[in-house]
Amino acid sequence: MSRRTERLLRGWRRFWRPPRRLRTTPAGRTYLVLCFGVGLGALNTGNNLLYLVLGLQLSIVVASGILSERCLRRVEVRRLLPAAPRARSPFHLAWLLRLPKGQSFALSVAEVHPVLGTAVGHLAWLPSGEEVTVRAVATAPRRGPLHLGAVRISTTFPFGLFVKSRDVDIEGDLLVLPGRVPPPPEPPAPSSGLGLEQRSLRGLDGGGDLAQLRELRDGEDARRIHWRKSAQLGTLLRVERDAQPQPRIVLHLDDRAPSEALDGRCEELAARAELLLARGAEVGLESTAGISVKPGAGAFHSHAILRALARAGHPGDGG
Amino acid sequence: MSSERFRLLLRDLAAAAAFAAMAISGQVPLWTVGLFVLALAVAMTGRRPLADGRLSAVALLLAVIVLYAAVMVEQLDLVVAACITASLLTAQRMLSLPTGRTTDQVQLASLLMIAGGAVLSADLLFALCLFTYAVLAVLSQGLSVVAVSGPGPFPSTARVLRPLAAGLAIAMAGALAFFVLFPRLSWNVAARRGGASLGGGTTGFADGLRLGGSGLLKSNPRVVFRARIDPDPGTEDLDAYWVGRRFDTFDGVQWSSRGRPGSPVRQVSLGPVESDLVRQEIDLLPAYGSRTLVALDTPVVLGDAESHQATFSVRTELIPSGDREVRLIGPSEHVTYRAFSALDRGSSRQADAGERARRLQLPKNLDGRIPALAGTLSEGAVGDRAIARQLERALQAGYAYTLELPGRVKDPLADFLFDRRAGHCEDFATALAVLLRAKQIPARVVVGFHGGERAAGEYLVRAGDAHAWVEAEVDGHTLRLDATPPQHRSAAGTGLTGWLLARWEALQIRWLDRVVEYSFSDQNRLAQRFRWSTSATPDRPTSRTPSASAAVALGVLGIAFLIAALVGRRAAAGDAAELGRSLQRLLRRRGRLGPGGWLDGAPVDEAELLPVREGIARYREARFGRRPLGPGEARRLMRQARQALRGMPSPSPARPERPTSRA
Repeated sequence: MSRRTERLLRGWRRFWRPPRRLRTTPAGRTYLVLCFGVGLGALNTGNNLLYLVLGLQLSIVVASGILSERCLRRVEVRRLLPAAPRARSPFHLAWLLRLPKGQSFALSVAEVHPVLGTAVGHLAWLPSGEEVTVRAVATAPRRGPLHLGAVRISTTFPFGLFVKSRDVDIEGDLLVLPGRVPPPPEPPAPSSGLGLEQRSLRGLDGGGDLAQLRELRDGEDARRIHWRKSAQLGTLLRVERDAQPQPRIVLHLDDRAPSEALDGRCEELAARAELLLARGAEVGLESTAGISVKPGAGAFHSHAILRALARAGHPGDGG
Repeated sequence: MSSERFRLLLRDLAAAAAFAAMAISGQVPLWTVGLFVLALAVAMTGRRPLADGRLSAVALLLAVIVLYAAVMVEQLDLVVAACITASLLTAQRMLSLPTGRTTDQVQLASLLMIAGGAVLSADLLFALCLFTYAVLAVLSQGLSVVAVSGPGPFPSTARVLRPLAAGLAIAMAGALAFFVLFPRLSWNVAARRGGASLGGGTTGFADGLRLGGSGLLKSNPRVVFRARIDPDPGTEDLDAYWVGRRFDTFDGVQWSSRGRPGSPVRQVSLGPVESDLVRQEIDLLPAYGSRTLVALDTPVVLGDAESHQATFSVRTELIPSGDREVRLIGPSEHVTYRAFSALDRGSSRQADAGERARRLQLPKNLDGRIPALAGTLSEGAVGDRAIARQLERALQAGYAYTLELPGRVKDPLADFLFDRRAGHCEDFATALAVLLRAKQIPARVVVGFHGGERAAGEYLVRAGDAHAWVEAEVDGHTLRLDATPPQHRSAAGTGLTGWLLARWEALQIRWLDRVVEYSFSDQNRLAQRFRWSTSATPDRPTSRTPSASAAVALGVLGIAFLIAALVGRRAAAGDAAELGRSLQRLLRRRGRLGPGGWLDGAPVDEAELLPVREGIARYREARFGRRPLGPGEARRLMRQARQALRGMPSPSPARPERPTSRA
């Protein structure tokens, strides 16, 4: 199903969805049973005072609806997603709430999502005009992209009988990176789908003293260019150092495997990539389905590899 | 006081109000009242001795089992048992650890108590308790929901109370609307009337009148019946005697009467019906607690009695009994009937020989000093009427009125006449009757009520108006004699207390009429009052004209709309746009608006007008700079701007520059 069709379907469902959701709390359920009992008593006996009590009970339900609506109606919300959430590790979901006018009480915020919806942030009071950040600790069981369609703001104010919720449509995507596992003790054989391939040890690209300058060949890393000398001579020169070069490793992933097995492989590869990068190696990634990350080093590159591994097996979610 | 403590205090007081709503019925056992008051006192000190709760829960369960066992063996009413259960549960939860869940449970159990109170009591005090409970429960529950809802910052209590007060107003208005409009269609499966409320029936009518009893009844302010009298006497305090029972046999300690009950009839005639009778519509309230009917002295006809049940009224029959006493056929909490009396006209019915003998009979063990005293007190009087009047005056003048009695004595009459020389109306009436009999004048004691306070066109008679007097047979007529000093004949409450009681009773009557007895026919009447009447006239075949009530309703709606608009305007006072509009209006009046009627470029450059500039700058910040106005800031800014502009002249309109010199 294309994203456009999905969006259309969501819009259709939204059209038929009630503007607010109402759920009774345990106290609310007991209260409704009491209302029913008092109503039955009033009808049975014709006791006017029971009618009066029933009227008060039902009016409290109405007042509860009005006050809770005042709490929810004007709340503006922005989602603050974590940068690198890992599967099975708790991470913070955060929302920025703002109320232009009035004040709201007893708010709770959660994503409308089958996985992340269990993480609920709470806020006792949202004053007028202030931006307040609400956080909740969430855990995603598996890696991969999660599409977030709406944020649910709820309140139990004023009497705790009902939880009234309003869904604020905010589209967003959260990419859950592969979970943390200990890296395998030995690198597997290059032939396996899980392996690494020491593709190249060429060049004197270590971190030692300057050995020589030479012309840059096609396909060589532009980061090795000595720009000042190249400018003086009018041709691109690259630096070669006399130290031992760092290994350049390309990890290979067979992403045609079934999804759960693939999750395990991705996590192992992620652990290996992080270990290698921490040792100073340049690490790249290739997969049978066409994912390709050129070898590189550093924290940003590590994140790129993890993101590629997170997307492996989820072709429709783009890169 | 911390907000947590304040919240719990409100919760516990709400529970207390709910318990009171139930306890005012007088049907809750005293041990329950004691336990609940103890629990409330402990909870209000902040101690929670049942924090663990397991043991107390087991004890509560056992108590509930015992209670319902008592219901099974018909030792306890089911509703009372349910009320006791609710109060015990509330007390146990109040003393538990104060979590949000506990608070919910206290509130729900309190609601059960309120419902129980509605079943058990029909008193105006219930309305007071219900209102107090609603206010306190709404506030405490709202505060509790915010307090347990999550991490701070927590708002101040005042900030939460404001929306809760709005919610409370909505709830009250809704409850009233529901009460008035919800059709009174009842299945009448388990109708049950509210009881006589706290204290039970209080008239004190019994088959005998025993001397030496306490005079507590005299200070009881409860209204026991009300009467509409036609022709209306018009006085605020009625100086009239309401006859209940007559006693003619005295054994030295107790009065009694003979007479067999007759057959049940719709109407009882006690004398000849003449044209100048006074008609009374009498409403015996639940606090009356007796089957004996009363009517103004001298009653001639009593009838048309209706017993009012919770949802319907039924005609009830009367039984003539004893010496011109009329009783209801069965007990009832609320009865109305009609009576016709001949005022200021003694009964001319001649007593037969047996009656006359009984009215002259003296106790066998009568103190020998009493006949001598009768002679002494009536010395000089000639004729039965004069003797009777002289004895009446002698007792009024020579004996004191008191409600402080020593209790039972062997010969209460001799004790009153020779030792204490003080007593209450029963002592005075007994002494006069015996002294009259000692002088061979037939006499008997009558018990009933004296007086009546006017309220809403009716006369209210209290339990404290209970009174005893004497009827003597003089010259073939019945002569009413009252030896009790006049100032002590009616209820003891006077002054401010009496005034307050009268107001309270007037409210109580309205409460009974308009709330407790509100019915489907009242709803019909209400609907008809607001109906648009259709009238046909020769020149306008059908013209629709609104009734006065409809006009009033529209007027009330209009006023409500205006109030809502004003409140809305006040609520919008914190809005930046509203501040801008107010500033614009102010500057327009002062002729200082900028070009095109905008605040921008307004000529407010003078040093004195700094507050105006500040107001405009603050408006811009709040409107466009996302720095909202604080509470009350807009009002302060407007006030300062107004003060600054006061007395400032309007700037002269800008004129095109003209050359100052000629070439």
